[in-house]
Amino acid sequence: MATTDGASLRRWFLSLPPVEYLLQHVRELLIGSLKCGPIPNHIAFVMDGNRRWARDHKLETVEGHNMGFEALARVLEVCYKSGVKYVTIYAFSIENFKRSKYEVDGLMDMAKTRLVQMSQHGELFDRYGASVRVLGDRSLVRADVLEQVDRAVDMTRENDRAVLNVCFPYTGREEITHSIRETVKEYSVPPERPKEKRAFSESQIQRHLRTRQLASVAEEGEQQYLTPPNTTGGLSNASDADSTEASEQEDLDSSSVLQPASSQTSNCASPTLKPTTPLSPDNSSWRLKSAASSSHLPDPETITTDTLTKNTYIDAPPPELLIRTSGVNRLSDFMLWQCHETTEIKFLDCMWPEFDLWHFLPVLVEWQWRQRHKQRQEGRVEGSTDGIKSA
Amino acid sequence: MVGARHAQAFHADVDEQGRRLSARERERLLKPYLPPTPKPETSHSSAAHKSPLFQHKKRVRPAIRHAIHSLIFTIIHVFFSVYIRLREAYHAVVNQIFTVLYYHHRTPELIKKDMKNLSKVPKHLSVILQQSPAGGDKDSLETLMNDACEIAAWTASAGIPVLSIYERTGILKHSLPHLHRRISRTMTSYYGEAAASKPTISLRAPHLPSYSPPTSPEPPTNGDDADGHVHHPHLAIMLIDESDGRQTLVDLTKTLAEMAQHGKLSPEDISSELIDAEISESVMMEPDLIILFGDQIVLDGYPPWQARLSEMFYVQDHVGGVGYHVFLRALYKYGQAQFRVGT
Repeated sequence: MATTDGASLRRWFLSLPPVEYLLQHVRELLIGSLKCGPIPNHIAFVMDGNRRWARDHKLETVEGHNMGFEALARVLEVCYKSGVKYVTIYAFSIENFKRSKYEVDGLMDMAKTRLVQMSQHGELFDRYGASVRVLGDRSLVRADVLEQVDRAVDMTRENDRAVLNVCFPYTGREEITHSIRETVKEYSVPPERPKEKRAFSESQIQRHLRTRQLASVAEEGEQQYLTPPNTTGGLSNASDADSTEASEQEDLDSSSVLQPASSQTSNCASPTLKPTTPLSPDNSSWRLKSAASSSHLPDPETITTDTLTKNTYIDAPPPELLIRTSGVNRLSDFMLWQCHETTEIKFLDCMWPEFDLWHFLPVLVEWQWRQRHKQRQEGRVEGSTDGIKSA
Repeated sequence: MVGARHAQAFHADVDEQGRRLSARERERLLKPYLPPTPKPETSHSSAAHKSPLFQHKKRVRPAIRHAIHSLIFTIIHVFFSVYIRLREAYHAVVNQIFTVLYYHHRTPELIKKDMKNLSKVPKHLSVILQQSPAGGDKDSLETLMNDACEIAAWTASAGIPVLSIYERTGILKHSLPHLHRRISRTMTSYYGEAAASKPTISLRAPHLPSYSPPTSPEPPTNGDDADGHVHHPHLAIMLIDESDGRQTLVDLTKTLAEMAQHGKLSPEDISSELIDAEISESVMMEPDLIILFGDQIVLDGYPPWQARLSEMFYVQDHVGGVGYHVFLRALYKYGQAQFRVGT
């Protein structure tokens, strides 16, 4: 009883016009001051603790999620006003589908209403220049929610000053899997070739080749007399000519896709696999086709970490800060690919619905302090090496 | 930040008279909190050309505001510096007390006693070690080796069967036989020469042949030895580095892409389960607990696939490197934590 009295008293006090006015200005001032120092480019949030907060306050779970959404609005405001460019939030994990159907439906309904509201206030997003991106496995979302998602995303597509990444049915492992799958797909189809850009036509070159082949056949005939008799003389010679021919064609092919031929692709066109039957126009065209289908595929050896990064859902530099509320010290499958390098991970004890500027500020100031500290140290190291150099 | 009254109105979606808010009203409520509409560049520059006086006036206020902001920024950071120094000093004292209070004295029984109150211990423990920037290569390798040996001994004493040691550069990996000898020696110094409870160890690094020296017994496969010997506890140690993280996933992708190119696999067959099976086999399973001995949680290239649900532990403002009290506190934290999947 005492706590509810205290809470209502506090609420009454905070809603007094002068107090409200003053608080408002203090906040603006603090955010403005923060901007004087370094500001992270990308912050990620795991919005954990909505349910526990609701349980602690004897409210319904969905109400906890609602309050969580309001906390998110507050945090976003602080982030964008202080100049953070990317904010990524973990809105819904694929694991969450394992919860009760009632809660999942409630969450989906909430997402839908919030998205409808967002679409009504598109102008607000324009003010911050923020575009919304919804990332994750879309196949798991209900169709009516998906429709609202697309509407909200489309509406803010033009904004480019800030980005809000909403991870909605997302897990980090699913993201890595998705990225690997996309990369494999990419590497199992021939790349798009720029068409009509060169002055040479393939058919003309083919015609030239054919005339040369005819010439070489004639030459071969002469050669057979010159070389000492050999058990498979004629045959091996023919296949030799075949192989040089093949490699020539392959060179042409690979140069036309502007890709270095790998050892594997040249293996595919190796002479041992070639039928040693005499050269005929349709035989060479078959060979051309088979060489094309294998050598047009990009070489898997060119896959790098950047390729995988490019195919992840999140199109942003890795976050400098990852904040997780509710005192659980786990990533819980969030942004595994992005956060395992230099990201500083912060676990806070407060529940997400309580999270606001006053929880956020110390984290941000500490980050700034560390950043400045690091800079100063680097400066000192540079100074000392300079000193050594000059000495 | 929206004031309390307006927040209430938003929350209930009704105004003070209890009417439902329309989209327009909601926007009106929010107006005062929004940043000014971004002005198109062109109008701005033309205004500057038209009236330089007016422009001048506009320049003063932002300058004053900027000065105030800088001042507050400096004040915040001065206070914060003081605060963080005090906090560091406080934690240094606390850590020192912990170091004195909880010391293992190289006695497995003491360590076991420390573990008595825990409701659960991790099955797979992972530690992140960092090469100290100061000192030469040889010194830092020596320190790393020492730390690895100590941690291995504590882990064995705590009854944890699997330990993985992450070190970014992989310097530990390249001296497997030497490290094995060192760990055996440390174990002997903890357990004594021929104690029955002395655990056997196996040392392994992904993509390197497992090292089992001729003198040490093979890892027990069926529990007891053939001649009914006492069961030795076994500790499996894994050394991992940066290349076992992203690079392994890239290598896996390369293989999968090659298979897809030869028509042995369709991209649709690629699932989390497949990748998990491959990664767990070639590198390691996911650890239950990751202990960081630094003063912040930065994974520093730790294998991303495996870091999914692992609990992470660090001690705030801890600068002393590897210490037994950090190890112990991590296990205590883990022992009390409730395990939940997802967010």
